[in-house]
Amino acid sequence: MPAREELKSGTPLLMVEDLQVEFDTFGGTVQAVRGVSFSVDQGRTLAIVGESGCGKSVTVQSIMGLIPTPPGRIKAGSARLRGHEILGRSTVRGKEIRGAEIGMIFQDPMTSLNPTMTIGDQIAEPLQVHRGYSARDAFTEAIRLLELSKIPEAAKRARQYPFEFSGGMLQRAMIAMALSCKPSILIADEPTTALDVTIQAQILDLMHELQKETGMAIVLITHDLGVVARMADEVAVMYAGKVVEYGSADDVFYRSAHPYTVGLKEAMPTNDPGRHQELKPIDGSPPDLFAPPAGCGYSPRCPNAMQICSDRQPQDHDLHGHHSASCWLHHAQSESRPETLFFKDAH
Amino acid sequence: MWLYILKRALQGLLTVWFIATATFFAMHNVPGDPLTNDRAMTETTRANLEAKYGLDQPITTQYLIFLRNLARGDFGISFVQENREVNDIIREHFPVSAILGVLAVVFAATGGVLFGALTALYRNRLPDYLIMFLVILGISVPSFVVAALSQLSLVSLNSLVGFTFLPVAGWGTVMHMLVPALVLGLSTMAYLTRLMRSSMLEVTSSDYVRTAKSKGVPPTRIFTRHQLRNAILPVVTVLGPAIAAITTGGFVVELVFAIPGLGRYFVEAVQQLDYTVIMGTTVFYGAFLVFMVILVDVVYGFIDPRVRLDS
Repeated sequence: MPAREELKSGTPLLMVEDLQVEFDTFGGTVQAVRGVSFSVDQGRTLAIVGESGCGKSVTVQSIMGLIPTPPGRIKAGSARLRGHEILGRSTVRGKEIRGAEIGMIFQDPMTSLNPTMTIGDQIAEPLQVHRGYSARDAFTEAIRLLELSKIPEAAKRARQYPFEFSGGMLQRAMIAMALSCKPSILIADEPTTALDVTIQAQILDLMHELQKETGMAIVLITHDLGVVARMADEVAVMYAGKVVEYGSADDVFYRSAHPYTVGLKEAMPTNDPGRHQELKPIDGSPPDLFAPPAGCGYSPRCPNAMQICSDRQPQDHDLHGHHSASCWLHHAQSESRPETLFFKDAH
Repeated sequence: MWLYILKRALQGLLTVWFIATATFFAMHNVPGDPLTNDRAMTETTRANLEAKYGLDQPITTQYLIFLRNLARGDFGISFVQENREVNDIIREHFPVSAILGVLAVVFAATGGVLFGALTALYRNRLPDYLIMFLVILGISVPSFVVAALSQLSLVSLNSLVGFTFLPVAGWGTVMHMLVPALVLGLSTMAYLTRLMRSSMLEVTSSDYVRTAKSKGVPPTRIFTRHQLRNAILPVVTVLGPAIAAITTGGFVVELVFAIPGLGRYFVEAVQQLDYTVIMGTTVFYGAFLVFMVILVDVVYGFIDPRVRLDS
């Protein structure tokens, strides 16, 4: 399937450029996403990291067309699947995007499944809608998909209702459902946040395994750096509706170039015995996106902020390879070079 | 399942017993008795009645006699209407009330679900505002006003068509039933519309509807497969009490439309202190409502799998 096409064109599987999304509310317009760009290739995993309200969920929901409009509005930008625009569309080259080209799983599996429909019927539904399966064939396939998601006694389980499943089992069923039509991309919006830690690892392993089998790309949204480290090939760190640092997982973790990324790392507990240090919370709170700041959104909380940071929006500075950071400290004329950050010529 | 129904039936029996007991003692605390009215009654009739119901005995004995008769399904003979058994009155007139009531409930439930779903789909647009305005009217205008107004409009309608299309009053054909049933069910329909609207809106913004969208399920299928069944649950829940409200509220409508239902006997019996008829109709209505509530609960289990009837 998509592999050949991609070799021919050389374009990334999914490429998002300068995505801007707004919401009209009683209090005014919220600029939830203010120019987000990233791309993901086949078989790769991109993690979008950031705190609550930074726009990571809105970003992927816009791509999926799940933003209610109104009040939401996609102001600008593009999202291209193998070079074909998908923003604001439901099909690409005659193929349904939602459910067929892109599958999606959500944060809370307990509420994300229809309580009055059997698990099997819910997994079978996309096959009936997109692939023209008969109800009986779709149900048989649903059982096979449940087995694939490592649910024991799949045939019996398929006839049960969501309330008879545990949280982890439901998330497995969600994965089976999202992958039923063999999409080329799986979007996972905080898939493990509502699960307990041992189950988290199992779900992540399952996603990883299925990715190896199917070659799908994964866009993983999370605020858990542990999950990122385990899963991601590429990482996009988001803050206040923008991507502030972007690069390979190694680059972002070991050669962090944005003060916010460093702040996130320092705020995360570690079990590395050699690194006994106190957790450092990031003081303050994110900017008000009703009236986004003129300069860098992080500057009021940034320990390394300079005068220009609150006045003007920083540009993306390429460091090496695909690694880039949106921070004035990387500007050629910047004299401040905090040693916690990675700089271009240090490489 | 069967165990559940048996359990509920036993509970229902207990409820009916309680209703019967409460009515019995309430009745006996009302001053006066049906035998001291101004109608002619021979000494023998009086003596026979007193003997049969033990009216000359202490109240506990009377109560036991009453319970024994009740267990046999014998509600007794009317004290006021000569030679009429309460069972006959119920047998003759209850079917009329039941047909009217059931039809009214059907109107109320289908109308409520339909209009509720419609207002939710057209939220904050003209159809929503229009229907919600009518809903407020339906809830706040009492049924005797609606009944009288609908009779007036029926008169105009019939004279416009030139023949009796929908009869203004009376009973007998389906045409006789439609308008009274609609009037009777109107306020419940209005209430169910509001309920359905809010529950539909809640379901629309639920996570699982978002999941269905993310699967690429077309809107009509989302509506039928995911929204309707979940949104209808609260409506089914209140259907039991709604049936109670409709069947007991039938008296006014029966009176206005000259329908020979049970409601008239119910009210007249209270006015005349006709012990046996009051007891009979009250206990019978009570049993009927208990039965309907159990029926609704069993149906609920079929719609919502989370309600497990066998546990």
